[in-house]
Amino acid sequence: MSFKQFDTEDIVVSADSISSIVWSTGNYQLTTFFTSSTQDSSTSGDYYLDVFQTGSTLTNAAVQFSIAYGNKDGLGSTPFNSNVAGKSPSATVFGQYRSLVLGDEESDFTFGGVTSAKGIYAISLDRARYKEKLLPGTFELTIKSGSVERTLTDNSGMSTVVTFTDAGRVYEVISGSNGVSHDGGTGYSANNGSYGKFLPDIGVIILNAAAVNAEIGNNTLFETGSSATNGNNNAFLYEIIELGQNFKINAEETVSSNYVFVRVRNSEFNYSNNPSNISGSGEIRHSSMVNNPQAYITTVGLYNDTNDLLGVAKLSKPLLKDFTKEALIRIKLDY
Amino acid sequence: MGYLNNGVVTVDAILTKKGRELLARGDGSFRITQFALADDEIDYTLYNTTHPSGSAFFGEAIENMPLLEAFADETQIMKYNLATLPRGTAKLPILEPGFASITLKQGASLTITPQTLNFLGASQAFESSGYTATVADVRLLSNFTGVGINTAEAERLNASSTLGTNVSKTVVGTSINLTGTTINTLFGATNTSLSSTLTLVGRDSGARITIPITITKTN
Repeated sequence: MSFKQFDTEDIVVSADSISSIVWSTGNYQLTTFFTSSTQDSSTSGDYYLDVFQTGSTLTNAAVQFSIAYGNKDGLGSTPFNSNVAGKSPSATVFGQYRSLVLGDEESDFTFGGVTSAKGIYAISLDRARYKEKLLPGTFELTIKSGSVERTLTDNSGMSTVVTFTDAGRVYEVISGSNGVSHDGGTGYSANNGSYGKFLPDIGVIILNAAAVNAEIGNNTLFETGSSATNGNNNAFLYEIIELGQNFKINAEETVSSNYVFVRVRNSEFNYSNNPSNISGSGEIRHSSMVNNPQAYITTVGLYNDTNDLLGVAKLSKPLLKDFTKEALIRIKLDY
Repeated sequence: MGYLNNGVVTVDAILTKKGRELLARGDGSFRITQFALADDEIDYTLYNTTHPSGSAFFGEAIENMPLLEAFADETQIMKYNLATLPRGTAKLPILEPGFASITLKQGASLTITPQTLNFLGASQAFESSGYTATVADVRLLSNFTGVGINTAEAERLNASSTLGTNVSKTVVGTSINLTGTTINTLFGATNTSLSSTLTLVGRDSGARITIPITITKTN
């Protein structure tokens, strides 16, 4: 026999969590940020602004994350129809994230207990960057305007209970780093609650526009007036992120692995059909191998019931097998 | 294709092209249930039974050799299986397909009934579990079936089909039926023949032979 059936305990499925770099630069920290004037001036620019790690026209440019501004009352962007108030790209964005996160069109975002927020910034990481989910405690974003700056993080290092929304786990965005506040307090803004929501399972960070603008933007929120046009609020958040020069985050991924244990008994697989081992009529080349066969395992083939070769494993060096030796080979297959 | 670092013993595992196809098919056929071992790349002429340092060093030239990484093409790996045979076996099973090579005209049919020499004490025998036959490029054959083995697994394998590119196909049987393709477009504008390989493996003995197969264009 050249095939051997696996026993049930020979194949084990294991799911392991691994963390990895998010940014295309290969670094934990992203310090430079670029946008595309082509994207910004297109229809999509009314809703969101793509941010790249390098000049958007360069061959290695890739979208790292997108910025969008949402407002419950549709302020801060140009109405779709001047006769219909409150229906604008910002209203669409707000409704989109409210539906995604809260799952209820009647609910409002609550930031650290404050529910009056009508404006949000959404930072949505490109899925190709974070793959499955973000790793809480690794998020750090510095926003800066003039000489004022805040470094934001999630409060996963201070939370004893994980809160869930329709979008999975949620943490408050606070002033601090590495998942804890700078001063040991809540890390919230002075009057507007927390700085936002960190939603690792959907790769989104929602910032509380009121808190950000009160603390950093000198209240320059473009909600009404001639500046309240599409893209201005997106550009404002981009500007304070670009000045901050610090966006750190890691991804977390669950990798399911099949561990296959190949157990070879002493009496098994001792003879080789290798042409260099036998003559044309099948006689073993070396007479000493008739009673003491020596075979060298180099390859393990994994088959299904119908003998289809599904996977192969190569050893890094030949493994001698004879009637006095047994072998246990562990093979890991990742999906 | 690179060499594996043999400073430490590691295992480099990949899915084959066939494995990825069955995984994508999602019909439960991607289920690892058995294994086989092979000694591809080993040259037993390097086994030196006259080594001056004694028998412990006979395999010296083999044991330290670096090995190549795994190939994803299932027809290019697991070529020489290791077999479980009684101690004292002097002659190893070899396959006799009855043909050194196969040439078929378009639409022509052929039946192969392999036999195994030096198996279970007989000089010539049919293996009770049959033979697997793998054609490296299934497009060359309009009919490729195995008959004579009626297990559920064999019947399911023989009934499966893959459309599209040049993937391999494996069937199980005591006899293998082949019919050359009648599709002219495979030949392109200038080719008058198409070539591939047919690999036969004894399911009991592990003996293996690969023979070339050629389909010639008729019109």
